Amino acid sequence: MTELLTGAQILCRALLEEGVEILFGYPGGAIMPFYHALPEHPELRHVLVRHEQAAAHAADGYARASGRAGVCVATSGPGATNLVTGLATAHMDNTPVVAITGQVARAMMGRDAFQETDIIGITQPITKHSWLIEDAEELAEAVHQAFAVAQEGRPGPVLIDIPKDVQNQKVDGTAVDGKAGRRYGGTSQPATALPPYRLSAVQEAASLIAGAQRPLIMAGHGIVLSHAYDELRALAEKTGIPVITTLLGISAFPESHPLHLGMPGMHGEVHVNRAIQQADVIVGVGLRFDDRVTGNLAGFARGAKLIHIELDPSEIGKNVPVAVALVGDARELLRQLVDAVPARTCEEWRGEIASFMRPRAESFRGGLSPEGILEAIDQAAAGRCTIVSDVGQHQMWVAKLFRYQRPNTHITSGGLGTMGFAVPAAMGVVLARPGEPVWAISGDGGFQMNMQEIATMVQEGIPVKMAIFNNGYLGMVRQWQQFFHGRRYSATPIWSPDYVRLAEAYGIPGWRVETASEVEQAVQAALDRPGPALVEFLIEQEANVYPMIPPGASLSEPIESEAGSPRLAPV
Amino acid sequence: MSAAHAGMSAAHAVTVLMEDRLITLTRAVGLLRRRNLPVRSIAVGPTATPGLSRLTIMIQSDDTAADRAVKHLQKMIGVREATTFAAQDGVARELALVKVRAPAERYGELLDVVQLYHASVVDDSPEAMIVELTGSEAFVLSCIRALERFEVLQVARSGAVALEAGSHTYEDSHA
Repeated sequence: MTELLTGAQILCRALLEEGVEILFGYPGGAIMPFYHALPEHPELRHVLVRHEQAAAHAADGYARASGRAGVCVATSGPGATNLVTGLATAHMDNTPVVAITGQVARAMMGRDAFQETDIIGITQPITKHSWLIEDAEELAEAVHQAFAVAQEGRPGPVLIDIPKDVQNQKVDGTAVDGKAGRRYGGTSQPATALPPYRLSAVQEAASLIAGAQRPLIMAGHGIVLSHAYDELRALAEKTGIPVITTLLGISAFPESHPLHLGMPGMHGEVHVNRAIQQADVIVGVGLRFDDRVTGNLAGFARGAKLIHIELDPSEIGKNVPVAVALVGDARELLRQLVDAVPARTCEEWRGEIASFMRPRAESFRGGLSPEGILEAIDQAAAGRCTIVSDVGQHQMWVAKLFRYQRPNTHITSGGLGTMGFAVPAAMGVVLARPGEPVWAISGDGGFQMNMQEIATMVQEGIPVKMAIFNNGYLGMVRQWQQFFHGRRYSATPIWSPDYVRLAEAYGIPGWRVETASEVEQAVQAALDRPGPALVEFLIEQEANVYPMIPPGASLSEPIESEAGSPRLAPV
Repeated sequence: MSAAHAGMSAAHAVTVLMEDRLITLTRAVGLLRRRNLPVRSIAVGPTATPGLSRLTIMIQSDDTAADRAVKHLQKMIGVREATTFAAQDGVARELALVKVRAPAERYGELLDVVQLYHASVVDDSPEAMIVELTGSEAFVLSCIRALERFEVLQVARSGAVALEAGSHTYEDSHA
């Protein structure tokens, strides 16, 4: 018996088959047939955002927190182009996001029709792959392929563009029912499966580690993506090698662990960067030696042999020369390495690193410091919350000062550095982790980029706890202006509305905290009140993030304090 | 692999066997731009396998950059195979059409040049002729230079297609 289904109905069914529960989206002309079909499937919860960029970030946040693909939906033209920043963010940080966009009807395509845009062309360099659906018969298979591509291997965003008449096209539904449409062996498989890692390479890596005097482990996002937490810890504990976590590797290794060292790179602690510069072997796992991590490449870890454990073969040797490459899943390879490596300790080396440590420079006058705020947030949630940060000075403080104990509890836009990420991404994190406190921590600049999403939280009952570190500046840019542009604060002072009254306007509780003594109470109150809540912290205006490696300098040349900051003539 | 060692720049062919869809071609070419590869020519056309086309990119680079380009291309969906070899380890040929004009008294001289380069006259209109020639990039350039002794009106070059020497074919192993 044939059952006629529209393309839109097929899309809904295919999403359900993929286990989708939540979509973030915004309707419009070219996606209306899909929105018409949606109420037939109440199992698909749709979250109406206030701007499509937020839909992409929320899907990204959902994916990072759940490990499953996040889904966002937009109409053609401006709806689709508003997704771009979110997709680029997901692409740089390897998050599985499936974007579904409406397109003008097939007969109108290529004629500059109303709200037509070549979203496949626009998103081509920031997606793993994309599909233009030219016949509803292809739709189910494309959706299943899209989810597979987004989630398999090194994850990333994908996009499915569906012309409006294809959404309305009626085809025989029985042919696409169930997962019969899946044909992964078909024409769209990538050319190469992962090359099998050489067993001898594991042995080579193990003997390098065994013979090292000053070894380090650098752990990146790959640990989180492959859930290799236990294996990472096993390697560290069997060998006594200290562990560095990159910005996206933060929380992959418990910070209370005696072998935990901290974050490397531009704002890494001095002892971490010095350890890198002194190391003779570095085991890099699931990271890509980004320029914010290495500083000037010519001066990076010159005495170290690198063992690079990485899923993507095109990353090997991209930025730094590698002595031993282990290409494959971090979890599996770490497991093998733990078996192959002899037990040892690194007492002397750890003592040496400890001697590099020095008290952190005082960056705050007055008592309302990021340390105090983060400590209160940690205490109030009894160590059970997820932190979603935005981009800028607060992002570095949140990365360095919060004591992350549980895996994947620190979520941030690392590669793209997208201001405005935290508030919408936190909505996705909350929906992936119901019942767990989620804090979106932003600066006053980033918060104002996507604060319209408070309305989404209210309408949908999404209890994001928002913290704003308000210093009245675009702080990180101001810091660069202070150091490298002769203190010419061009376009960095930024006015804010009254956030407490803003909260009130949206019908949520809000607090303004001006002194250290108010912090604990406000944080606790925000947590205790059901639903979204907002706390503004008026922090020191011209505080800086220390230490800092100036752009273009090597990890050996940090600016450690106000006194050490360059005094340049105005340029 | 090739005689061009890491760090030494030489002509490399990157050949990509891929689905013959515009979206796949766009992605592959977009990748070359995004990864900033020193592209000398690009040619695309069908293969012996229906539905598959071969993209040939000639780049001037060291082995490392060529290998990295291949690794990026291999990750693309729709790409079946991507390989690279130094031009000297295979055969690379391109075709050129040259529209050239000569006064009546030098017509014979022009035909001598055409013959010398094993080229052929494929159109002989009263005002100008079109010469077709095939060969390596150096050969084609040398012939065009010779024709420039006359009045060259237009040149269309295909860009090189290339195959690595030896017996391996994708079609053999995946038929």
